[in-house]
Amino acid sequence: MNAVVIVLLVLPLAAGVAAIWLPSGAAGAVTAATGVASFGLVLALIPAVSHRDTGVLGFVRVDALSVVFLLATSFLYACVAVYSIGYLRTAGRHGHGDQRYARHFWAGLNVFAWSMLMAPAMSNLALLWIAIEVTTIISALLVALEGTDGAAEAAWKYVLLASAGLAIALLGTIFLYYAGSHVLGQTYNLAFGPLLGAAAKLPHTVVRLAFVLAVLGYGTKVGLFPVHTWLPDAHSEAPTPVSALLSGSLLAVSFYAILRFYQIAAAALGSGFPRDVLLVFGVASLLLAALYLLDQQDYKRLLAYSSVEHMGILAIGVSFGAPVALAGVLLHVLAHAAAKGNAFMGAGVLVRKFGTKQMLSVTGGLDLLPWSGPLFLAAILALSAMPPFGIFRSEFEIVTGGLAASHDTAAVILVVLVTVAFLGLSVAANRMLLTPRPEPDAVRGEPSVWMVVPVVAGLVALVVLGLHPPGELVGLLDRAVTALRGPA
Amino acid sequence: MLPAQAPSVYTGAANVIAVLILLAEFGMFRQALLRDQVRLYAGQSVLIAVLAVLVAAVRHLPELYVLAAVTVALKAVAIPLVLRRLLRGTAPGHPLDVSHDIAGSGGLGLASTVLIGIAVAAFGFFSATVLPVSGGGAPVTALSVSLSVVLVAFVLMIHRRDVASQAIGLFSLENGISLAALVVAASLPLILEVALLFDLLLAVVVFGLLIRLHHGRAETLSTTDLTDLRG
Amino acid sequence: MVTALLPIPVIQVLQVLTIIGAGPGVSGVIARVEARLQGRRGPRVLQPYYDLAKLFRKEALAPAGASWVFLAAPVAAFTCYLTVPLLIPVLTTFPLPLGYMGDILGGGFILSLAGFLVAVAALETGSPYAQLGASRAKTFAAITEPVVLFVVFTVALLTATDLPYALAATVRSSAGQIIRPAHVLAAAALFMVILYETGRIPVETHSGTNEFGMIEEARSFEHSGPYFALLKWGSAAKQLILYTILLNVFVAPWGLAATRQPWAVVLAMAALPAKACVLGGVVAVIDNSFAKLRLFKITEFAAAAFLLAVLGVFTLYLGGG
Repeated sequence: MNAVVIVLLVLPLAAGVAAIWLPSGAAGAVTAATGVASFGLVLALIPAVSHRDTGVLGFVRVDALSVVFLLATSFLYACVAVYSIGYLRTAGRHGHGDQRYARHFWAGLNVFAWSMLMAPAMSNLALLWIAIEVTTIISALLVALEGTDGAAEAAWKYVLLASAGLAIALLGTIFLYYAGSHVLGQTYNLAFGPLLGAAAKLPHTVVRLAFVLAVLGYGTKVGLFPVHTWLPDAHSEAPTPVSALLSGSLLAVSFYAILRFYQIAAAALGSGFPRDVLLVFGVASLLLAALYLLDQQDYKRLLAYSSVEHMGILAIGVSFGAPVALAGVLLHVLAHAAAKGNAFMGAGVLVRKFGTKQMLSVTGGLDLLPWSGPLFLAAILALSAMPPFGIFRSEFEIVTGGLAASHDTAAVILVVLVTVAFLGLSVAANRMLLTPRPEPDAVRGEPSVWMVVPVVAGLVALVVLGLHPPGELVGLLDRAVTALRGPA
Repeated sequence: MLPAQAPSVYTGAANVIAVLILLAEFGMFRQALLRDQVRLYAGQSVLIAVLAVLVAAVRHLPELYVLAAVTVALKAVAIPLVLRRLLRGTAPGHPLDVSHDIAGSGGLGLASTVLIGIAVAAFGFFSATVLPVSGGGAPVTALSVSLSVVLVAFVLMIHRRDVASQAIGLFSLENGISLAALVVAASLPLILEVALLFDLLLAVVVFGLLIRLHHGRAETLSTTDLTDLRG
Repeated sequence: MVTALLPIPVIQVLQVLTIIGAGPGVSGVIARVEARLQGRRGPRVLQPYYDLAKLFRKEALAPAGASWVFLAAPVAAFTCYLTVPLLIPVLTTFPLPLGYMGDILGGGFILSLAGFLVAVAALETGSPYAQLGASRAKTFAAITEPVVLFVVFTVALLTATDLPYALAATVRSSAGQIIRPAHVLAAAALFMVILYETGRIPVETHSGTNEFGMIEEARSFEHSGPYFALLKWGSAAKQLILYTILLNVFVAPWGLAATRQPWAVVLAMAALPAKACVLGGVVAVIDNSFAKLRLFKITEFAAAAFLLAVLGVFTLYLGGG
């Protein structure tokens, strides 16, 4: 299995380097092939990690929890890679379809995906931090790629806030190192396994500080309130395929880092304190996002706030702590990746079709886009946790877990706020898709078939996750939940 | 009340270096010229390296010598070089002179900035004393100072409204964390430390590119116009 | 061999005489060094003494309408400068009886009383330059005062008293006391205050002609003859007093007499002006290296000194530094 991991962690980088020299068409083909191959490789990892963790050279360590996030990332990578072929082909009409842009785009996309695949596979917390910092740097360049005023502003805010947040996370990591050095000796490499093993003996105050700093720091990248402010800007100004990756994978990967700290903090302090911290951040994020969803003019910003909402749900789910809630959280990561990827890819089609991100200028989407219209509607419904999609199942599990762990109030708040968010999303979708088109002269048709196929794949994944998750996947999630719950 | 105990010479010297690092941070806080800010940053980095050498000598941690050397090479030489090169088009006297954007970017008056600076520095000091930390590296007071550096760097980034100062603020924030690391994680494996430093170099390049992009679009380094994206 | 010990009152008088006597000389040395650094030959080192002698022979004039305060102020201020040397370690490491009359704050009060008297006299004149100088001096004094207070706090925390003799003894006691951040910061802050108080760059041009930026120098504009001489002599003495506090209390409390033996006291009388001249050389270098700050930037200078002093207290109080 080591070979699989190595190939998984080398292939996207190689594709990214190759994309610098290849012509746009070939680079797109290579990227799509690499994306699909990565997804296949992660699928191949699933049976392996359900028996034991896989490590390479001491730097790489893959367990069930990592694979959940690898799965989300690689799936979206594959979808977005295919989608981007269509995205770039249709870009010519908007003025930046030149070779230089395409070269930067393909190289950046691959390296970005590579950095997000690296993060969950790192064996120690310092390398995890480095991988996440690399995701920030690469994605900031991708956000700036459009070269507009808005993109420059969004990229600057993003890179500054996210880097400052990660600096805080680094401080948290260093304090955790200090805590660990009491048990593991002065010189150890922050490797996750031994640290978790020694967690029970770690000094409490320092671990508490490290955990709060880590939640605040990585929370900046996750988009937790009050450090989410970069998120809507970056998501709305980035090229749409990048927005999909940012929202579906990057936020989740950053959440993965918080989960690692949560594991250690829960083992060291008992689960009370870490859960309270996550609950506060989660509820605040969910509340803010639900309210902002009600009043948005820009549909990419709308989706961005929906991401804040879902990250809040993840934090609340972890804070419930019950096994079924944790299983819900991990399923939510996967389902959110598919749904948000679909939504952004659908939004990208709308941008191409209507040439604007303003909701008021988009009407009659369902008439004009025979495939993408319904698919976008389905993605919005999935994001609003409608059955039969995966997010319905995951949120149902989270709420069940909340009630089981007698967090009744929080569970009720969760349900109410999710309903508010549903209201905001459905009003927007209704306006854009179902309102009849005033001008009759618009042409019915899809901008590109490449922009439809991956969305169909995402929809299939959502339905599968919602109706009947495969047994292998359930086994994987169970194993990850066991790891998350800790030995106690 | 009793007279304060005298620290050992090592503790005192390390603490003085730490305080100088904090003072450099305050200097950047008030500095009006980008060139001087970059110089202060380089000086601050050299101070970090000096402290690393001191800790290495006293605590017998030979790895820190290497770290000090890499720190000087990267933070005091390479990064200022990269920054200057990327910002060459924005120097005083150049047709695209933007020094005014940096000099006038402070949003607050003198008294407020100094008082806020002192207040956050005090908070940094105070919060570190609550921690039960006794390090194997630099003395614990340096940890208080490092938290103050981090907080002052944050205030710098909030208070200055130009992209260059904000970037410098972020890099010096990282210096503050390096200082904290010398106290609580002096024996962190060298390979990780060096990886962190190269990561920083990468970040500096990207920051430089984005600053250029911003300057190219807005013809200013000021961020006061970055208000399009709201809600 | 047992030599006779000097009686304590004699040593106390010698303290005052050292300050008064060496004060103009130190000013002369600084002026000379400064001139050399600028490539000029410069005045003789003894020039300030000749100036004083000349002024004492001149006739004294007072502006019409100025009250008795105008003429009393230079005398009273000079008296203040005669009093302060009794409180601080000028010659001896051991405290002299009159040293207990006042602590650092007491000395500070007397110095500011002198400044206040000169300012009141300047206000008496009705001359715009003198009044401007007086009001500026008082304004900036209000800003530097907190700095001095925080320096005193640092001393108090370091020694549990605020007697200058105690701090000097503490500094001599170990190298750890010198290198600790609180001490370094307090000394640096005090040095900046001294630059301000003695009217040096970057606050003020010392050997300035008439100009708007003047602060200290402008206050004595209307005085003449012996009164002007007293003011000039007083400010030279004040400069040496401040240098003495910095040197003998904070930075270099060595070379003082540990006993009452005459040779030790004489040695100390020679050592102090020597140290003061070295410090003066440093001040002269600073004079030549920096530009004068614009008037409203002086607050920035004072703020920097304040920052140093406050950080000194922080490191001591919260960090154990």
